[in-house]
Amino acid sequence: MTPAEIEAALQWTTNVNLEIYYFWTVAVMVLIHVGFLMYEMGASRVKHSLASGTKNILAFAIVIPTFYMFGWWIYLAMYNGFIPDFEAGAGGVPWGDAMGPNLQDNATGVFWGAFTLFACTTASIMSGSVIERIRLAAFIVLAVVLGSVVWNLSAAWGWHPDGWMVTKLGYHDVGASGVVHMIAAFFALGILINLGPRLGKYNKDGSANRIQGHSLPMTMAGLLLIVTGFFGFFAACLLYGGTAQWTNIYGGATTLSAFCFNILMGIAGGILGGYFKTRDPFWMMSGALCGLISIAAGMDLWDPSLAFVVAFAGGIIGPIAANWLEKLKIDDAVGAVSVHGVCGMWGLIAVGLFMGGYPTHADGVPPISLGGQFLGMIVMALLGFIPGYVLSLIFKVCGVLRSSDGVQTAGMDVEIVNDAYPEQLKS
Amino acid sequence: MLNSSPIIFWDGAAAIFTWAGSGGAVLWFWVMVILCILPALSALRAERAAEKEYGG
Repeated sequence: MTPAEIEAALQWTTNVNLEIYYFWTVAVMVLIHVGFLMYEMGASRVKHSLASGTKNILAFAIVIPTFYMFGWWIYLAMYNGFIPDFEAGAGGVPWGDAMGPNLQDNATGVFWGAFTLFACTTASIMSGSVIERIRLAAFIVLAVVLGSVVWNLSAAWGWHPDGWMVTKLGYHDVGASGVVHMIAAFFALGILINLGPRLGKYNKDGSANRIQGHSLPMTMAGLLLIVTGFFGFFAACLLYGGTAQWTNIYGGATTLSAFCFNILMGIAGGILGGYFKTRDPFWMMSGALCGLISIAAGMDLWDPSLAFVVAFAGGIIGPIAANWLEKLKIDDAVGAVSVHGVCGMWGLIAVGLFMGGYPTHADGVPPISLGGQFLGMIVMALLGFIPGYVLSLIFKVCGVLRSSDGVQTAGMDVEIVNDAYPEQLKS
Repeated sequence: MLNSSPIIFWDGAAAIFTWAGSGGAVLWFWVMVILCILPALSALRAERAAEKEYGG
């Protein structure tokens, strides 16, 4: 072989390896949605269970085409704020050459796929918190706005190498504690304020009732599947370098091994923290998510022991935050705001607290700092909360946000053309 | 806030995790060890309570 042929062969190997790698991250990330489906249905009472599952799957299905229509374009074009860079966004125009089968482009489809699954994850995070009372049509619109508009802005600002939060604040969030988890949770919080609690959640004296889902084992297994799917999620947060070292989403050097150390430590720390705080299997398994989200932002740099400690703290913070929200009359059916929102905040702040002093990768980009992480956290909270609150308020005023008490009492499954557990129905 | 970086430059860097090669990494290791013991103690307490109430 000539040197030119060897170089061409190496390039092809790199292209195909990249394609294979991201293709399978997409497939593994679908497990997140299997998990969310089981989690939400198990956390619902029998009479609502199919409606919860249907809602969850519709969110997954509607975000995929809308992300194709405009979500990918927003990510590519809006890195600088609210004013789009049309030249940069050209690669994401649905009718462009890159956005379909193209023998000269082995990358766009698999990158688009990975980002689409991130988008679906944001919608699924929101989906669980609003079960048993949200109306389906309103939910579908909210899922589209979160997954295909709001999340794309947060990714463009805080994940894109040229994003203004990266270049101006030195924002460091490689595993998306803020970019995915906080955004989705604060969007959900905005909805929950307008949606109100499930029927029977609060008594007249203001005390809260514990509403148990119909299958905690299904919820627990679902949570473990979500955790499994997050291996694909985090793997897709790395950039495959081909003949060079792996890099994180910002172009900083890292390894897949670094992620492996810290993913496992995050899961373990969160489970043990949740168990230690509550001894409740629900919070033990949610603790796994709390742990992962707590360490996600600094996944590339944690000492595994410290990742365990940070995740353990996350496993304790999650249930404490859930109790606090319940006292504020915010009925978050699955604790999404606590797990994804509060632990996401902790994850960003932990990076600021423990990771000062790292040299920057690119000229002119500030290093990691507590101030930069704190400002980034505020931006993520507002970017998630404001659209969720405003849009759900409009739906509330129009009377299309919340199902009537009659439908809630009968069960949301009356709207579904099938039965979850038909043998339980009276003849 | 805490300067935990073991490197000054990325060129030629090896162990890049927080406090790599310093006492900080050892400190967090022992904190982790203690945190691993706490859930076991919590389980022991719950077990004893159950045995006291329902045991023979």
